[in-house]
Amino acid sequence: MKLLLLIFIVQAVLQTIYLPASQGAVQPVAVRLIERTCKQTPLYNVCVSILKSDSRSSKADVTRLALIMVDALKAKATGTMNYIKTLLRGNLKGDVRRGLSSCADLYNAVLEADVPVAIEALQKGDPKFAEQAANDAGIEAKSCESSFSGYSPLTKSNKSLQDVSAVAAAIVKLLL
Amino acid sequence: MLESDPSRDFSKHEDPSIAVPCSYIPLPDGPHTRELASARRMPPKRAIFKVFSGVLILALVFAIIIGGRNSDVHANGNALLATSTSSMASEPLRPVSRGVSAGVSEKANHVFSGVEVASFPWNNTMLSWQRTAYHFQPEKNWMNDPNGPMFYKGWYHFFYQYNPHGPVWGDIVWGHAASKDLIHWLHLPLAMVPDQWYDLNGVWTGSATLLPDGRIIMLYTGSTNESVQVQNLAYPANLSDPLLVNWDKYSGNPVLRPPPGIDSKDFRDPTTAWYTSDGKWNIAIGSKVNKTGITLIYHTEDFKSYELLDGLLHAVPGTGMWECVDFYPVSKTSGKGLDTSANGPEVKHVFKTSLDNDKNDYYAIGTYDEKSGRWVPDNPKIGIELRYDYGIFYASKSFYDLHKGRRVLWGWIHESDSEIADVKKGWASVQSIPRTVLLDTKTGTNLLQWPVEEVDNLRLTSREFERVEVKAGSVVPLDIDAATQLDIFAEFELDKEALEMTAQTNVEFSCSTSGGAAERGALGPFGLLVLADDSLSEQTPVYFFIAKGIDGNLKTFFCADQTRSSEATDVNKQIYGSSVPVLKDEKLSVRLLVDHSIVEIFAQGGRTCITSRVYPTKAIYGAARLFLFNNATEATVTSSLKIWQMNSAFIRPFQPGQDA
Repeated sequence: MKLLLLIFIVQAVLQTIYLPASQGAVQPVAVRLIERTCKQTPLYNVCVSILKSDSRSSKADVTRLALIMVDALKAKATGTMNYIKTLLRGNLKGDVRRGLSSCADLYNAVLEADVPVAIEALQKGDPKFAEQAANDAGIEAKSCESSFSGYSPLTKSNKSLQDVSAVAAAIVKLLL
Repeated sequence: MLESDPSRDFSKHEDPSIAVPCSYIPLPDGPHTRELASARRMPPKRAIFKVFSGVLILALVFAIIIGGRNSDVHANGNALLATSTSSMASEPLRPVSRGVSAGVSEKANHVFSGVEVASFPWNNTMLSWQRTAYHFQPEKNWMNDPNGPMFYKGWYHFFYQYNPHGPVWGDIVWGHAASKDLIHWLHLPLAMVPDQWYDLNGVWTGSATLLPDGRIIMLYTGSTNESVQVQNLAYPANLSDPLLVNWDKYSGNPVLRPPPGIDSKDFRDPTTAWYTSDGKWNIAIGSKVNKTGITLIYHTEDFKSYELLDGLLHAVPGTGMWECVDFYPVSKTSGKGLDTSANGPEVKHVFKTSLDNDKNDYYAIGTYDEKSGRWVPDNPKIGIELRYDYGIFYASKSFYDLHKGRRVLWGWIHESDSEIADVKKGWASVQSIPRTVLLDTKTGTNLLQWPVEEVDNLRLTSREFERVEVKAGSVVPLDIDAATQLDIFAEFELDKEALEMTAQTNVEFSCSTSGGAAERGALGPFGLLVLADDSLSEQTPVYFFIAKGIDGNLKTFFCADQTRSSEATDVNKQIYGSSVPVLKDEKLSVRLLVDHSIVEIFAQGGRTCITSRVYPTKAIYGAARLFLFNNATEATVTSSLKIWQMNSAFIRPFQPGQDA
């Protein structure tokens, strides 16, 4: 009985220490910054979930939150690009293949132009170029979706990228 | 059939419930105790305790494992608090007032929202047509702000923000070109590159000051190796080289660091210096505090050490960061430009800023009392109101041209197509044709801008049209040869009866929210269709729209409508424009410089200017046409025009044997 009580007390103490860590990412102050920042974006939930799940957001100012969002944009674009390449290796109908080729170009522009420009602009301190780059990424994703006359295999990916672009652009706008 | 959508893999990472693992059990009286109790047959109390502790130990193990993964969590709460208050202090406000300007909206390419956008299959023919014939642009890659314009030893010099590596912003250096006449430019080697710690992350915008003793001072912003914005001093390596090819950076750089209270990323774009009677040179630098745009003034005697003045030159709450500020005198009486240091009772001072958050240039006219160092706008209720240009025109910079005694203005004209098209064509941005700037002595409340007279030297053949009648609801083709490189001057008159008869309205017209040239009113729209094809499937209307106000007075608006400028859906399709003052007995007049993918438009002698980028897919090369149109319902319009074909300016790299 006493042993059980001892175990209980010890682990209760240890859990109190580790509880914030096990929750995952962020201290209360950082959470407030994230929530206030995300309220000024068009997609609060998308914004919050991306920022809260990145541990760097606990030490962030608005510039770094913007960089985290751009990183998320990069990750999504990379994943979609890889998926497009995989699909293109398969047996496809003419119009789907054409749409995917178009999308490959568009996502390439996102990865080769928009993302690097956004990162450099934020890091070096001329954020308006990051706003434009983030907006442009969303436009490329939208164009990709319009490249399919019928069924689009990328609807979810494109929508997701547009959402993150909109959020990233809105966060950058807070810096201007 | 597709098996899986990888976005489902993404969603795993986005799923908030996984982001916050919650695998430990809450303390006493949690649900598990009830479940487990019913499954066992041991003495209840012992069983409960044993199981309970076992579960808690398991939970502790989980917590340690997962906590270990997220070990870098212990933030410095105080630091976060400090930065969070400074960056989140207030809701972003709109600028204090924009008068009734009906200009571009804040967002960069807002027109795409809600519209079906597809990547247009641009081919090389269409893309190569877009390059301009007589506007300044480098041979390839990205350009932005004009820098350090000046005249020296017979040459106009122009520097610019340039990316030597690609058609998007980045890796910024100072490009350089020289010209005898502000039109025929010759490319020179790069003037400055990021080769010092204090400009390693960017050799950014700056201005030239020509000293009375013949020295040239170039002050520019450097983004240091730690991305702090500082001001640096540079000067020509050899003042006897009229082409000023090589530049030296002062060994004691930086000469200015961000002062206390100013963020290290809110301190850039120093102006040309002006001299005041206390024997000091003054420079202005834009910045912001929270969301209030401000301008700092510094005193200096040697351009190496500076003293920050107490007051601000100007400040407007809610406008965000002020970039590329400019401050210069204009004459109230003479039609000439003034040296930057001029002052006196016959002089007004113009303050100008580029607003980072809305990508437009704004100015205000006021009076500068150099004794107190205070500038007071003529209209103090409005913080900063008038725009140089109601289309695309940013980061503009003026200089005093001592060669011809005029103030000349440069403006950066970015692309309004998609970035992927810029990547395909390998370049992005042009500069405006340099414009003279004068106070409009007839109104007293705005500036007049007009292309420098040297652009007239590009005129080749001309055609004149006298009093062409354009009835309500009609389009008249103008028979000229080509229609992609033009200088057009047109005047318009409306029939008097229509002006009298037209009913009043109580709705204020605005170019940007109107239905464009297709929206018919009693007294407009009427004007020109540029870069149009025969079938008018592509057209860029440039037009006047006259509205009668509630008081019975006529108000004139001047707009450029991009909504049908191209069949491509991935280009900007906004309507630009503003009201334009038209004085009694003045005819309506407009000048257009058409140069492939740029159209610069000047209404009423330059009272209202609009610069537009146009990207037709069909109305290119020999298929481009020019029309007069009148979409009014009641008025007949009569127009007289003179149209010149424009030569190329043959902008090219400088050749030592040929050019000097």
